[in-house]
Amino acid sequence: MNIKGSPWKAGSLLLLLVSNLLLCQSVTPLPICPSGAVRCQVTLRDLFDRAVVLSHYIHNLSSEMFSEFDKRYTQGRGFISKAINSCHTSSLATPEDKEQAQQISQKDFLSLIVSILRSWNEPLYHLVTEVRGMQEAPEAILSKAIEIEEQTKRLLEGMELILSQVHPETKENEIYSVWSGLPSLQMADEESRLFAYYNLLHCLRRDSHKIDNYLKLLKCRIIHDNNC
Amino acid sequence: MKENVASATVFTLLLFLNTCLLNGQSPPGKPEIFKCRSPNKETFTCWWRPGADGGLPTNYSLTYHREGEKLMHECPDYITGGPNSCHFGKQYTSMWRTYVMTVNATNEMGSTFSDELHVDVTYIIQPDPPLNVVVEVKQPEDKNPYLWIKWSPPTLIDLKTGWFTLLYEIQLKPENTAEWETHFAGQQTEFKILSLHPGQKYLVQVRCKPDHGYWSSWSPECSIQIPSEFTMKDTTVWISVAVLSAVICLIIVWAVALKGYSMVTCIFPPVPGPKIKGFDAHLLEKGKSEELLSALGCQDFPPTSDYEDLLVEYLEVDDSEDQHLMSVHSKEHPSQGMKPTYLDPDIDSGRGSCDSPSLLSEKCKEPQASPSTFCAPEVIVKPENPETTHTWDPQCRSMEGKTPYFHAGGSKCSTWPSPEPSQHNPRSSYHNIADVCELAVGPAGAPATLLDKAGKDALKSSQISKPREEGKAAQQRKVESFHSKTDKDKHWLLPQEKTPFGSTIPLDYVEIHKVNKDGALSLLPKQGNSGQPEKPRDAENRKEYAKVSRVVDNNILVLVPDPHTKNLACFEESAKEAPPSLEQNQAEKGLADLTATPSNCRLQLGGLDYLDPACFTHSFH
Repeated sequence: MNIKGSPWKAGSLLLLLVSNLLLCQSVTPLPICPSGAVRCQVTLRDLFDRAVVLSHYIHNLSSEMFSEFDKRYTQGRGFISKAINSCHTSSLATPEDKEQAQQISQKDFLSLIVSILRSWNEPLYHLVTEVRGMQEAPEAILSKAIEIEEQTKRLLEGMELILSQVHPETKENEIYSVWSGLPSLQMADEESRLFAYYNLLHCLRRDSHKIDNYLKLLKCRIIHDNNC
Repeated sequence: MKENVASATVFTLLLFLNTCLLNGQSPPGKPEIFKCRSPNKETFTCWWRPGADGGLPTNYSLTYHREGEKLMHECPDYITGGPNSCHFGKQYTSMWRTYVMTVNATNEMGSTFSDELHVDVTYIIQPDPPLNVVVEVKQPEDKNPYLWIKWSPPTLIDLKTGWFTLLYEIQLKPENTAEWETHFAGQQTEFKILSLHPGQKYLVQVRCKPDHGYWSSWSPECSIQIPSEFTMKDTTVWISVAVLSAVICLIIVWAVALKGYSMVTCIFPPVPGPKIKGFDAHLLEKGKSEELLSALGCQDFPPTSDYEDLLVEYLEVDDSEDQHLMSVHSKEHPSQGMKPTYLDPDIDSGRGSCDSPSLLSEKCKEPQASPSTFCAPEVIVKPENPETTHTWDPQCRSMEGKTPYFHAGGSKCSTWPSPEPSQHNPRSSYHNIADVCELAVGPAGAPATLLDKAGKDALKSSQISKPREEGKAAQQRKVESFHSKTDKDKHWLLPQEKTPFGSTIPLDYVEIHKVNKDGALSLLPKQGNSGQPEKPRDAENRKEYAKVSRVVDNNILVLVPDPHTKNLACFEESAKEAPPSLEQNQAEKGLADLTATPSNCRLQLGGLDYLDPACFTHSFH
């Protein structure tokens, strides 16, 4: 053992490590391309543009779905007064105005969005299953539900990709809200069952608007440097 | 006593109540919150409608609590939004949260609460209209003018951070129109309108909406006048261009109409007919066939048998330019002493068709065609018999209207005017021709077709002009060439029949000795085939070669028999021509070319149409 040499070795290793870290941080985003593409380079801007398009689309669908459901099944039942504080994602600390949103860091913000999206995987899946299994399943609502489920999955993938690009060092966080509303959807009592659907769609509409707004904020912040 | 007190109390109360009712005062009616709006996702305002005030001054207060909170709050700002409103400032506004609010109306008599209203700011977003709408007409050089509309977003909306996203829409219309024209402008704050009505006054309005929310109201109307001279200039240019082109077209049409004939002659020069050496047109005119024939060197053409339906073609083709093709046609030669002295020694041979003189363009040169392709012998038939009105007029123009010409090929030959209205004569001449052709074809085994130069330009003898001094017209020979498929060198020509002097002329076959490069045929008389011409008298056996199977060497027609054709038409491709003589012929002709139309020039041969360029030349004389 060379006592004199080891500090030098340690120092050089440390130097190498630090320089690597520094270099890594300044690296341009890795190109992310679909498998099979010959030449493809998707920039962060493209990823954000795509994400915003998806989130905008998902909220439009959710809004329409809610309106159609309410008009057809629950108009005049006063469910809105009951649907207070009833969304499963309320446990996630989400900003509620511009100032709060601007105080959240980029990384946290992105992680938050990913968490919300993850929280909706299961509810959407069950929504589709249950609506499909309904007698006289409303076709318009079912098709929208299916579309929302699919697009949400793609949005989630996109967001995970963005996260890995912007903050590659972030550990894969598995935080999300658990949804336990499935029994309510399957209740025998029509009123309760209808309220369960109403509540689910109401929360979906709200959360999709949240995600859309957050992404547009982040896009302007990250891509355009707050100068949209 | 007690009873009195009780009744007095009741009475007083009733009186009091009565008094109150008489005054019209009552607790306030129920108010109603009818609208809440947020212009920027950072503040919002709610308005209520008061109920009946009960005749007393009434106070309104709005109380609310938010989703997830139990604490009740009162409206922070009753003023900013106007009367009966509640304005929530930034610190009181939260998105994605339901507000539960109530308005309480209070007066002296009592208070009344409105119904609860659940409001989520997320879904009540409606911006103000866009500001500073500017409309201009811009006129770039070399381009049409366009309308340039520019505006700015309403105040207090945060677009930079992306908190708010605005989409715009424009509507415009000419001042007096009823309907607006809308254009969606997306997120941009300027817009170009490219299709404008000049000289009109336009009204323009802009509005906006959030990415999810309500449209704003329209901005105030902005008017602009579109100047009218720009498109005017454009229109003027186009009008002048149109007028100019119309004038030019008229001039062209006029020029064509006036000088069309000569122009067409230039374009479609007539095919020169053959020149037969030693052929004296004057002799032909005189009608002395013997002299004529002797001059030609023909031997022994006395019509020994009745070859009425034979068409004699005797072709003597030489490769020199002065060669004349001579074909003598017998059969019904009107014997007016018409001398088929149409041959013009000066004219190059190669105009073997009956109407070759007519084909001769006086002005233009004809293309040289191979003499081997002479197909139809032109037969000059002197009108020996008045009744037989077949005159062969290879050069119609040479006849001065006195001699009827046999129109070989029926009425198709342009240079063969048939003075008689009867048509059968020409046909019978065709008959003969057909026979002759057939005969010639038979032994040769080669397809041959007599293609008559179609065209009715020489239908009337009166149209025949003065005789050509060149004599080409005088003796128009139809040269029939049978182009053997197998043997180019061997060409069977139709036997020459006695001249158009009324007598039957035996047919002789002539063998083409050689065909030289220029297309001239060098012929040798061939003996021993005299018997044959008599054979094909019947129509059934007759083969008519009226179908061109192919063109060889660009100037030789290879003809195939077509059993269905009855009409013979002879088409001759001239090999040589002398342009000056041609022109002369053309001028002298002065035939019914005027009336010849392209359709007349078509030779109807069993369904096969030949468009004889000669006809065009005729038609334009």
